[in-house]
Amino acid sequence: MRDRRVAFALVLAALLQTPAFTQTASVLQHGTSPLITFRILFMTGSAFDPTGKEGLASLTAAMLGEGGSRSKAYQQIVDEMYPMATSLNWQVDKEMTVFTGTTHVENLDRFYGLINDMLLDPGFRQEDFTRVRDEAVNFLKVSLRESNDEELGKEYLYNAIYAGHPYGHHNRGTVSSLQKLTVADVRAFYREHYTRANLLLGLAGNYPSGFAEKVAADLAKLPAGAPDGKRFEPPPLPAGSRMAILTRDTRSTAISLGFPIDVNRASPDWPALAVAVSYLGEHRSSNGYLYGWLREARGLNYGDYAYLEYFPRGMFQFTPDPNLARQQQIFQIWIRPVEVNTGVFTLRAALYGYDKFVRDGLSREAFEATRQFLTKYSNILTQTQSARLGYALDSRYYGIGDYNSYLRDALAKLTLDDVNRAIKQHLARDRMQIVIVTKDAKPFQDAVARNTPSPIVYNSPKPKEIMDEDAIIEAYRITVKPQDVAVVPVERVFQ
Amino acid sequence: MSLRRWLVVAALFVVAFVASRYGHAAGDATGRNLFTYPYNVDDLPNGLRLVTVPTDYPNLVALYIVVRAGSRDEVEPGKSGYAHLFEHLMFRGSENFTPEQRDAIMKGAGADTNASTNQDRTTYYVVFSKEDLDEVFKVEADRFQHLKYSEPAYKTESLAVLGEYNKNSAAPTQKLDEVLYETAFKEHTYAHTTMGYLKDVQDMPNQYGYSLEFYNRFYRPEYTTVLVVGDVTHDGALELTKKYFGAWARGSYEPKIPAEPPQMESRTAHVDWPSPTLPWLAVAFKGPAYSDETKDKPALDLLREIAFGENSDLYRRLVLQQQKLDDLGVDFGNHPDPELFTAYARIKDVKDVDDVRAQVLQTFARFTKENVDQTKLDATRSRMRYSFALRMNSSPAIAAALAPYILLKRTPDTINKVFELYQQVTPEDIRATAAKYFTENNRTVVTLATQAGTK
Repeated sequence: MRDRRVAFALVLAALLQTPAFTQTASVLQHGTSPLITFRILFMTGSAFDPTGKEGLASLTAAMLGEGGSRSKAYQQIVDEMYPMATSLNWQVDKEMTVFTGTTHVENLDRFYGLINDMLLDPGFRQEDFTRVRDEAVNFLKVSLRESNDEELGKEYLYNAIYAGHPYGHHNRGTVSSLQKLTVADVRAFYREHYTRANLLLGLAGNYPSGFAEKVAADLAKLPAGAPDGKRFEPPPLPAGSRMAILTRDTRSTAISLGFPIDVNRASPDWPALAVAVSYLGEHRSSNGYLYGWLREARGLNYGDYAYLEYFPRGMFQFTPDPNLARQQQIFQIWIRPVEVNTGVFTLRAALYGYDKFVRDGLSREAFEATRQFLTKYSNILTQTQSARLGYALDSRYYGIGDYNSYLRDALAKLTLDDVNRAIKQHLARDRMQIVIVTKDAKPFQDAVARNTPSPIVYNSPKPKEIMDEDAIIEAYRITVKPQDVAVVPVERVFQ
Repeated sequence: MSLRRWLVVAALFVVAFVASRYGHAAGDATGRNLFTYPYNVDDLPNGLRLVTVPTDYPNLVALYIVVRAGSRDEVEPGKSGYAHLFEHLMFRGSENFTPEQRDAIMKGAGADTNASTNQDRTTYYVVFSKEDLDEVFKVEADRFQHLKYSEPAYKTESLAVLGEYNKNSAAPTQKLDEVLYETAFKEHTYAHTTMGYLKDVQDMPNQYGYSLEFYNRFYRPEYTTVLVVGDVTHDGALELTKKYFGAWARGSYEPKIPAEPPQMESRTAHVDWPSPTLPWLAVAFKGPAYSDETKDKPALDLLREIAFGENSDLYRRLVLQQQKLDDLGVDFGNHPDPELFTAYARIKDVKDVDDVRAQVLQTFARFTKENVDQTKLDATRSRMRYSFALRMNSSPAIAAALAPYILLKRTPDTINKVFELYQQVTPEDIRATAAKYFTENNRTVVTLATQAGTK
C-alpha cells in the first residue's frame, strides 16, 4: 500500500506538470452536444486551509463563483448570465476545488468571457466577502446544525474521525474561524493555490475548433506555482470505538457510523469493496441488505445505506457529485432518522447486522447479482456529459483510466473470495465511530454503561426469525467504553 | 415524497418551457417548436396512454409511469398522506412478484428505480439498460394491476412513511409549508401537504382497508400515462405496453375535489419554532391553474423571475446590497387547480422581519401598477428557453422534464403551446395579471421564528 501511495503521488505530480499544448493539463471530451460543459479543477481544498483559518479554501472559491471580477461587479455578472440561464458553480472538498458551468453553444463566447474574467481576474470586494461569509456561517449554524439532522450527523462523523488531521474540519470551516477571516486571507490563498501546477481543465461538448486551445492558453496565465500534491496520512485515530451524542431539540434520532479505511479508488481492493458496500447498502436503493433488514422487515425508518467514498447531500440526490476525490476515505453507514423510542434498538440492530455481514460475507448469488448491478449501474452514474467529464477528471487523479471500463474490467476479474477477503481485511470494526443526533442522550449512555436492554414493540406480527434475532439485538453490546461517550450540545458543533 | 423545497432558492427554475434537440439541432432553442424530439402518443382502449420519445443517447431507457393521484385527491378528513403512502406500498409486492423478486430483477437490470408524490401526481420511474426492457415492463405492469400486500407488511411500511416525516421534520420549512397551506386553503385539498398531517400519518397503520380502496380508485388505466424515453423504438414500446398493460380494467371513481371559495380577507399566521433558526417569511397569493390556452399563468411565470429572480431589483437590494436575506425564492408550480404563488425569504436578523415583509409586499404591489421593462421581459424569455435546453442532457432528464406536463395534459405538445404563450405575453399582460391576483384579500402571509426563550 505504501508503495502504491508513492507511485500515486508521482503520477499525480506528473499529470499536473504535463506541459500539454500550453502548460495546462486538460481532459477534453469533444462531442456532438450543443451544450458545452466546463469543469475547471484545482487540486487544492479545505485540507490546505491554514490552521486557524478553516473555511478559507471554501470562501476563496465562493468569492470567485459568487463575487465580482475586477472589471465587473457581481450584479453585473448575474445580469449578463441571466438571459443565458448560466452560472459558475463551485465545490470545495479536502483536496479538490472545482468550478463547473454549462452553456448552450450559442452563448459560448459570452459565457466563457465572464467565467474567464471571474477566475483569472477576481475583484475580491469587501461587500461580496461579507455576503459569502455570512452565507457560510449561516450554512453551518442554521442549515446544517439546525435543519438537517442527517447531514449534521454525517459531517460530524468526519470531524470525529479526522480530529487532529488536515481533513478534520468541515469544508466550509467553523463559525469562529470564518468570523476571523479577511479579504486579505482570500487573496493570499488565491495567489498560493490557484496555480497552473494545481490546475486540470475539463471541457466537453461540441465546442468549436481552437476553443480548447484558447481556454488552455488563457488559464496558462495563472502563476506556475508548485503542486499542492501533498500526501495525507491515515487519521491518528486511537483504537476502540467511540460515540458522540449531539443533542438538540428534534423529534427523531439520526445515526451515522463509520471508520477510516485504507482503500480509495486507486487501490487494488476498491472494486471488491465496492461490491461489498453496494450489497450492504447501495445509496437510495431498496436493494441493500441494511435497507431490507431495518426498513423493509422492521419499519424502523426511511432508509439505510453504506458508503466507501464521501457523498455529501445524499438526501437530495440519487447519484454522487464527481470531483470529491480524496486520498483518505472512510467506510460509513447512514441510518436515517428513527423514532426516539427505537433509537437504541436501531443502533444495536445496525451493529448486529453489520457484524453479521462482516462475519458471513456475501453468498455466491449475492456476489453475482451485485457485480452485474454495478457493471450496468456505472452507465447511470455517468449518464450526463457533466458527470462523464467529472468522472474522467477523478480518474486522472486516481490514475485508473476511463471509469466505466476500469470498473467493468475489474468486476469481470473479481471473485467471491476477493470480496469476502476484502471485507475481512478492511471492514473490521475495532475503531467504529458512532454519531447520534437526538434530544435525549441518556438512553444511549445507559445502554453503553449498563447494557440496559432496549426491547422493541411492533405494530404488526413479525416472523419468528425476526423475533429471535430481535431477542439478541435488544441487549447486543455496544462496544464503547462509558468514558468514550461524549455528549455535545449542538451549538458547540462546527463552532 | 417529492422534494417540496428544502431551501427555496433551489426551486427557482423548477420548470421552464423550451427544449433544444440535443445532439441534432443546436439552433433549435430559437425555433418555433421547442420540444423538438419526435414522439408518439398512443391510447389503449382501456384509457391508458403511452408517450414514446426515442432519443439518440445510447443504452439507457427511462420508463416513467405517471398516476394522476396526489394529495389533491385526498378528500376524506383524517386521510391525508395516502397518495404518498401508496408510493411506498407499490414497492411491497404484487401477485406475480414478491418485493424480493422485484428487487432482484431491478438489480439485474442495473436499474435506478424510485418514485415521488406531489399534490397532483405520483410518478414511478425506472432507468435501466435497454436489453432489460421486456423484463422491466413486465414487473412494472404487474404491480400497477395486481398489487398485493399483507396487513403486517402494510403496517410496517406505514412506519417507513412516519420515518420519512421524521427525517423531514428537522427543517423549519416543512412546518412553514404546513401552516401556509392550511391558512390559505379552507375547502380545497391543497390545504394539506403531500406528506400529510402527523396525526394522519400516525393513524395509517390502522387503515389497511382504506388503503385497498385507495388503490382501487386511482390505480387505473385512465389515471395513468406511461412515458418511455431513450434508446427505444415506438413499435417496441407500443407492443410491450399492449402486452403488459392491455388487460388492465378501467375504473369508475372520480374524486369530488372541493372548489376553494374566493378568499375575502388577507390572512396571516405565525409559527413558533422550538430551536434556533433564522426567521422565515412566506408571502403567498392564490394564482392561476396551469393552462396552455390562456396567458395568466405564463404571465406570472415570467414575472416571478423579473420580480424575485437573481437580477431583480428586490434581490439586488435585499440580498446583495442590504444583505438582509440569505435566501429569496418563489414557488409557483403548474397545477390543475389554482395553487399558490409564494415568495419565501430567509432573514438574517429577526429585527429586519418587518422591513423585509414591507419590501416584499411593495414589490408585489409595484408590478400591479408598473409595466415591466421590455428588455427585461425579453431577457427572461431567453433565460427560460435556455434553462429548459440546458436540462435536456440525458434520457432520464428528458423524461423527468416531461413527466409534470404528462400529468397535466398527457402530451409533450403542451410545452410547445405554453411557450407560444410566453412569446405573446406583453408588459401590459403582466401588469394586468398581477393586478388581478396580487390583491390584499387574496393574500396569506406566514412567518416562522425561534420561539422566545429558546437558547
